[in-house]
Amino acid sequence: MTDSMKTITRRDFLRETGYAALGVAVAFPLVGEGKDRFPDKTRVVLVRDPDAIDSKGRINADVIQHMLDQAVTTLLDKDNPVESWKLLIQPNDVVGIKSNVWGPLPTPLEIEQAIKKRVMDVGVHEKNISIDDHGVLGNHIFLNATALINVRPLRTHHWAGIGGCLKNYIMFVPEPNRYHGNSCADLATIWKLPIVRDKTRLNVLVLLRPLFHGIGPHHFDSTYIWEYKGILVGTDPVALDAVGLHLFQAKRFAYFGKDHPIRPSPHHVAFADIKHKLGTSDLRRIELVKLGWKDDILI
Amino acid sequence: MRHSFPSRYVLISAIIFAICIMAVLMCTTADKSPKTMEMRDFVPGEFQGWQAQDTVEVYDRETIFDYINGAGEIYRSYGFSKLVVLRMSRAGQPAIVVELFDMGTSEDAYGISNFSGEGEEADIGQGSEYRKGLLCFWKSNFFVCIQTEQETPEAKEALLGLAREIEGRIATTGAKPELLGCLPDEGLQRESIRYFHIHSSLNYHYFVADQNILNLDRQTEAVLARYEPDECYLLCIRYPSPERAKEAYGSFVNAYIPEAKESGIAQIDNRKWVVAKLEREFIVVVFDAPTRPFAEDLARAVRGRLPTLAPGEVRNQ
Repeated sequence: MTDSMKTITRRDFLRETGYAALGVAVAFPLVGEGKDRFPDKTRVVLVRDPDAIDSKGRINADVIQHMLDQAVTTLLDKDNPVESWKLLIQPNDVVGIKSNVWGPLPTPLEIEQAIKKRVMDVGVHEKNISIDDHGVLGNHIFLNATALINVRPLRTHHWAGIGGCLKNYIMFVPEPNRYHGNSCADLATIWKLPIVRDKTRLNVLVLLRPLFHGIGPHHFDSTYIWEYKGILVGTDPVALDAVGLHLFQAKRFAYFGKDHPIRPSPHHVAFADIKHKLGTSDLRRIELVKLGWKDDILI
Repeated sequence: MRHSFPSRYVLISAIIFAICIMAVLMCTTADKSPKTMEMRDFVPGEFQGWQAQDTVEVYDRETIFDYINGAGEIYRSYGFSKLVVLRMSRAGQPAIVVELFDMGTSEDAYGISNFSGEGEEADIGQGSEYRKGLLCFWKSNFFVCIQTEQETPEAKEALLGLAREIEGRIATTGAKPELLGCLPDEGLQRESIRYFHIHSSLNYHYFVADQNILNLDRQTEAVLARYEPDECYLLCIRYPSPERAKEAYGSFVNAYIPEAKESGIAQIDNRKWVVAKLEREFIVVVFDAPTRPFAEDLARAVRGRLPTLAPGEVRNQ
C-alpha cells in the first residue's frame, strides 16, 4: 500500500490536528499556540470593521476597499497596497477572480470590485481580468489565466461541512459530483489540476455575514447568519479554511450553548493537509494577525 | 411587399418550430407516469387560496443534482427514486413549494427525515420537524417538505394545514427501522439517532476513516446515536450475513484499533475508550467512551437486545 493509499482515521486527526479538523469545539488548540515548536508559521490576516455593513444591511464599498488593503499590506509586510499587490500580480498576468454565486450568500460585488481595482492598479489591462464562478470552464480568461484570486463567503455546507477556499475551486472540474465522495474529502486534488495548479496568488475568505449552521433540503436559514463584518486573507487556502472552521466552532459553541459539531464533518480541510500536503490545517502552525474591530471576535 | 410571403413563411415556420420545441419540453417536465400522478395527487389543486401550478418538476436519482445541487448525495445514499416538486401561489402572499420524495422504503423515509433532526416536532405524519418557514415529515415511504420563502401568518397556517392534508392523502403508514431496537434507553439522546446504510453517511455524522473500513454498503443497515455522559457514540450495524460481519469486524479492528486485535478494546489518543464487538451478523462499536467500564457496559447492553431482532433480514437488495 503506498503512502497516499494509507487509511486515514479519526485517530490520525486526533494525533495531528486536534479536534478542530473534525468540526468539534472542545479541546481545540489556540491559534498560534506553541511558538517555539513551530517557528515557521503560515500567516493569515483577519480584518474587521463595524462599518463594513450599515444598519440597513448595505455593504460599504469604501470600507471594504480599506479592509482589503489593510489585510494585504499586513500579509505581505508592505506599507502601500499597490506595492503589496505587485508582489502577487504582474502587469502581464491574465487574472481570473474566482467568485461564488450561491444565491443566498454570494461573494459581494464590493469585494470583487475591490480586488479587481487593485489588480488593475498593478497594470493588468481590464480585458485580461475576469470574475466568474460557474462559467470558469468556458471562460477564455480562466482557461488562459496565469494568476487566480480566490474569493468567496464562508458558510456551512450540506455535503462538505464548510464551503470555504478549498471548496470554491470545484467549478474547475467538469463533473463536480465526482468529488462529493466521503464528504468531499479529496477536494484538494482539484488544486493540483493544470488549470489551477500554482496559479493562486491570494485567497480571500469573506466573513461579512457567515452562515454558521445550515438546515433543510437547501441548507439555508437566515437565522444562522451573523454580521461578523470581517475578511480573512492569506496565500494558504488550507490555513484560511482551518481558521474559518475554528471561527465556526467558536460561534456554534456560543450560539448553541454547547459543543455542536458541524455535520458533515469538514474533514476535507485536514485531508488537504495530512493527505494532500496542500497547506496547513494545524492551528498551532498558523500565525493569525487580527486587525481592526475586536468586539465579539471569538477567535 | 414582394418579400412579404417568404418573410411570413419564415415567421410561421419559426413559430411552428418553437411550438414543437415547447411541446417536447413540456412532455419532459410534465411526467405523467402512474407514480408521478399518484404523488401529484397528494397535493390539492387549491389550499387556503394558494393555487398549485399545472406542471410539476420531476427528478430522479440522476437528475436530483439539478434541483438541490450536491445535497442530492444525501438522498442518493438511501433508496430515493423520485422527487416531485409543486409550486403554489397566492396573490399578495409568498409562494409555497411542496417537495415529495419517494424514498423507496419507510425505513429510508425515516432515515432521511432524521438525517439532521433539529427542528420542533409538529405531530404530522409518522415523524416531523418544523422550523421557520419549513415543515418536513415522513409517512409510509414518502418524505415530504413544504416551505415558503417568507413565513407570514397566513403562509404558516397554510403550511401546517397543507401538511395535514397531504398526510391524510398518503393512505398507508410504514415501519421504522427494526434496528432501532438495539439502542438501550438509558442515557440515549433521542434527537441524535441516525439511520443509514453507507460509509459516507457514517462519516457525515461521525468521521471514522476515509476508507470504508466497516465494509458498509446499500445492503447494510446502521444506527448511530449519542449517549450521556460525555457524548460518547454508539454504532450498531447489521450485515446481510454473519460472514460479512466477521470480515468487516476484522477490517475495522485492523485499521482502527490494531492494538486491540484480541480484546476489541482500546484507549485511544484523546484518552477515550473504543470498544468493538462482533455478534452474529451485527457489529457494535462504542466510540469516545469516558471509561472502559462505561464502554463495556454499553456494548453489553446492546448485545443483550440483539436477540430480539430478526436474524439475517436484509433490505435494499
